Amino acid sequence: MSVLTMATAKGCTGKTLVCQVLVCALAGGMRVVALDADPNGALSRWAGRAYEGPPFEAIAEADETRLAHLIAAKAETADLVLVDTAGFGNRAATVAMTSADAVLVPALAGEADITEAERTVRLTEALARAARRDIPVRVLLNRVRRTSLARHALGEVTAAGLPRLTASLSDLVAFGELSYSGRLPDAGPAAAEVAALVNELRGLAWLPDMTALRNADTTTSQEGAMAPARKGAQT
Amino acid sequence: MKPPLKARPTATQALAVAGQTAPSLPPTQIDTADRPSTLTMRLREGTVAALSATARERGLTIKQVVAHALAQAGVAVMPADMEDRSPRRR
Repeated sequence: MSVLTMATAKGCTGKTLVCQVLVCALAGGMRVVALDADPNGALSRWAGRAYEGPPFEAIAEADETRLAHLIAAKAETADLVLVDTAGFGNRAATVAMTSADAVLVPALAGEADITEAERTVRLTEALARAARRDIPVRVLLNRVRRTSLARHALGEVTAAGLPRLTASLSDLVAFGELSYSGRLPDAGPAAAEVAALVNELRGLAWLPDMTALRNADTTTSQEGAMAPARKGAQT
Repeated sequence: MKPPLKARPTATQALAVAGQTAPSLPPTQIDTADRPSTLTMRLREGTVAALSATARERGLTIKQVVAHALAQAGVAVMPADMEDRSPRRR
């Protein structure tokens, strides 16, 4: 239903972390598929070894042709398709951005992060023009600290005219632990930040409408319950 | 100006758009070259003669006869090894 791609040409900005956070926050209420297009395989490895929450499907695929077909196929059956991409300019990431309903660009406070975030935003805009469709894109500031550096980075993002989310992820131990534990805390600053992120993405309609999903499930289960009766009536 | 499309592109469309918009970007992973290597076997003269005769009879090289037999036996023989790539002499 929704395809959300995490992309930036800079490595180590938190693309995989954002996927992990969204899986932990959303897999309980919808069918989530996570496509790992990063050859490092951190997301698919995490799904297999560390993750302990409600089930979701994780598939590693870094080849751009197979990834394009996989995104198209999974978008038909899943409620949310998350695509994690490698941290350098590459074809699979470009295809994932073209196929996305929205692109999230995680960035730290460094100059290279902001520069590559801008490059990624501009590339997304170019892909949207070429595909003749709207592909909304937002920068998500990650590992934020209350420092003058963070304020400067925010100023750089604003000065470059880059669209960004109001929500951000702080430099919290809980996010680091997530890579090992596969769990997010239920309360505390990390939980609050994730909730704010999810709420903002819902507000942007980047995530599936839960009410619509619940109604669809109810309709499907009602149809499922009626199916044997119909069959019985025919025979 | 054409109006923007709402629908998500098909896989083929997405690949075409990505290729046109950023043609210089590299693939995410580059397959390592499958370079030729050498396999030497000690066989009885009778076996080598039989192989040669079969190859002559079928119009193949000895290597092709072996490669085709291995492929038929279920070994994943690379397509290049199934071809006659012996140098042509004038």
